[in-house]
Amino acid sequence: MKQLLNTRQTIIIGIVCGLLLLTAFFAGCTSSTPAQPATTVATPVATPAAIVTSAPETTAPAPQETPHATSTTTTAPAAVATNSTPAPVYTYSEGNVVAFTAASLKGASPALAAGFEQMYPGHHVVFNLDGTQALKTQVQNGAYADVFISASNSYTTELTKGGYFVDGTVKPLTSNYVIVILPATNPGKIASLRDLANPGVKIAMEDKTVPAGTATIACLANLAKSTYSQDWNSSVFKNVVTYETSEPGVATKVSLGEVDAGFVYESTFTAAPKDTYLAITIPKKDNYLQTYTIGVMKQSTGQGAASDFENFMLSASGQQILTDYGFRPISTS
Amino acid sequence: MNPAPVLSEKIKRIITCTGAAILIVSVTLYLALPVVALFLRTTPDLFFSTLSTPEVMSALFLSLSTSVVSLGIVILVGTPFVYVHCRNDYPGKVIIDTLIDLPLVLPPAVAGLALLVLWGRAGLLGHYLSLFGISIAFTTLAVIMAQIFVASPFYLRQAKSLFEQLDPCFEQTARTLGASPLRIFAKITLPLTANGLISGAMMTFGRALGEFGATIMFAGNLPGVTQTMPLAVYVGLEGNLAVGLTISILLVIISFAIMIAVRLLARWEAVNV
Repeated sequence: MKQLLNTRQTIIIGIVCGLLLLTAFFAGCTSSTPAQPATTVATPVATPAAIVTSAPETTAPAPQETPHATSTTTTAPAAVATNSTPAPVYTYSEGNVVAFTAASLKGASPALAAGFEQMYPGHHVVFNLDGTQALKTQVQNGAYADVFISASNSYTTELTKGGYFVDGTVKPLTSNYVIVILPATNPGKIASLRDLANPGVKIAMEDKTVPAGTATIACLANLAKSTYSQDWNSSVFKNVVTYETSEPGVATKVSLGEVDAGFVYESTFTAAPKDTYLAITIPKKDNYLQTYTIGVMKQSTGQGAASDFENFMLSASGQQILTDYGFRPISTS
Repeated sequence: MNPAPVLSEKIKRIITCTGAAILIVSVTLYLALPVVALFLRTTPDLFFSTLSTPEVMSALFLSLSTSVVSLGIVILVGTPFVYVHCRNDYPGKVIIDTLIDLPLVLPPAVAGLALLVLWGRAGLLGHYLSLFGISIAFTTLAVIMAQIFVASPFYLRQAKSLFEQLDPCFEQTARTLGASPLRIFAKITLPLTANGLISGAMMTFGRALGEFGATIMFAGNLPGVTQTMPLAVYVGLEGNLAVGLTISILLVIISFAIMIAVRLLARWEAVNV
């Protein structure tokens, strides 16, 4: 009985051919994705959130957070889920600007998108809204963005040092103060900042990795030093029941009435429908002014459109939209 | 005696083998490479040094303890429930059947929100509880409740199919010999289905361990109280990548251990039946 190849040889040849084809496939794949600093073998443009072994699920903040109908914001998962996990993979397409934007601009994003299209007809912007720390991690692991709006100077500096921005395009965009919001019914009977330290009060705060979280920690430290005591500061932290991973997450918990108070940006309070929250302001001298920066990404394949978007954001109309939504212009600090 | 295969048949065989090989290799790599990349991104030194930090230790302890408690409750309450459900016909059985599967198709974030608006202190039932000073949201109890909600279908479905497929002759024989239903359940049904139930239990444990969306929505994120390992990964990878990687690797190791245990059990059962 003569055979050209026996079964074992056939299988070996099959496996070798398969491996060769696979290598060619991967080589072809990696050469067409944007340049990435990571040198792992992992599939290209994998966001770090994919690391969690059992698939992480997106969290959806309560619907009252987004009263405006959106037409040009990101695909549903990223727009609704501020604690987002695998961000959609964006590539540049004609006239489309991909803007990685700090989550606190969520309320203003539809108006900003409309304003941008008005100023530059034919251009569209797609926002990827998330905590700045999440966006930074995505970019550092190869995610594509044309423009990056950061809520934290330290993250901007980190990205600048990493060479992600086009020189000269990093500019201050707007600013925001921290404010304390309470549910409209004020279940915790909070009348002043001092009441935040009362035993049994439930407070929601952002995690310290979120820019709003660092701002809150700084505010509390300032308040402790100037007006209240260190004991007050420790009591407030003892009352924290959750460290949210994005600023809108805190607003959601407050609006649901599940916590007595939350630390958010003034813009969130100003932009919310009337009577959603009560607010206690923090004196300016103790407050922390968060400065947002905008920059054009070096990896952007549509530098023209990206610069147009930056120009729009810095222009009078862009700044007016931001002011309408409660942000403070950079000149007042 | 087989005649020698014709050349065209050999070519067909090679093509089929190549196709099969590509399929197997690509699926294996797709599943294995991300895990491999995790291990390659950190060093053993970094891994062990971050392993002993308080955040990792507390997340590990919290995750394991809450998952074990969740699993215990699911087994203790779920097993009799499924047995009664399977052995009896009652009005609404079809609805209960569907409800058992509901958490499987419900996005965990939705599950978390639903639990919050029910049990939260402003919730449907929660606001009665808060009158008595009982608060559930943002506590470790909330973590356990969220885990039970999302992970129970794994065990309940497994138990349901096991009980339904069990040859009724065993139980019927025991009945004719005078055993009470409870005795039948304990001495006949359970031992015969034990292996399958254990596999279901392990899948439930794995799912409970990895729960993220419902936990962060209903229980919040407070280190030491409600920050389970998946939450710690998510927070960690944005602030401290080393911690995030370490916890991810821990989760991978635990998941692998669970899978291997399930496989060994299945093989042992196949041999021993």
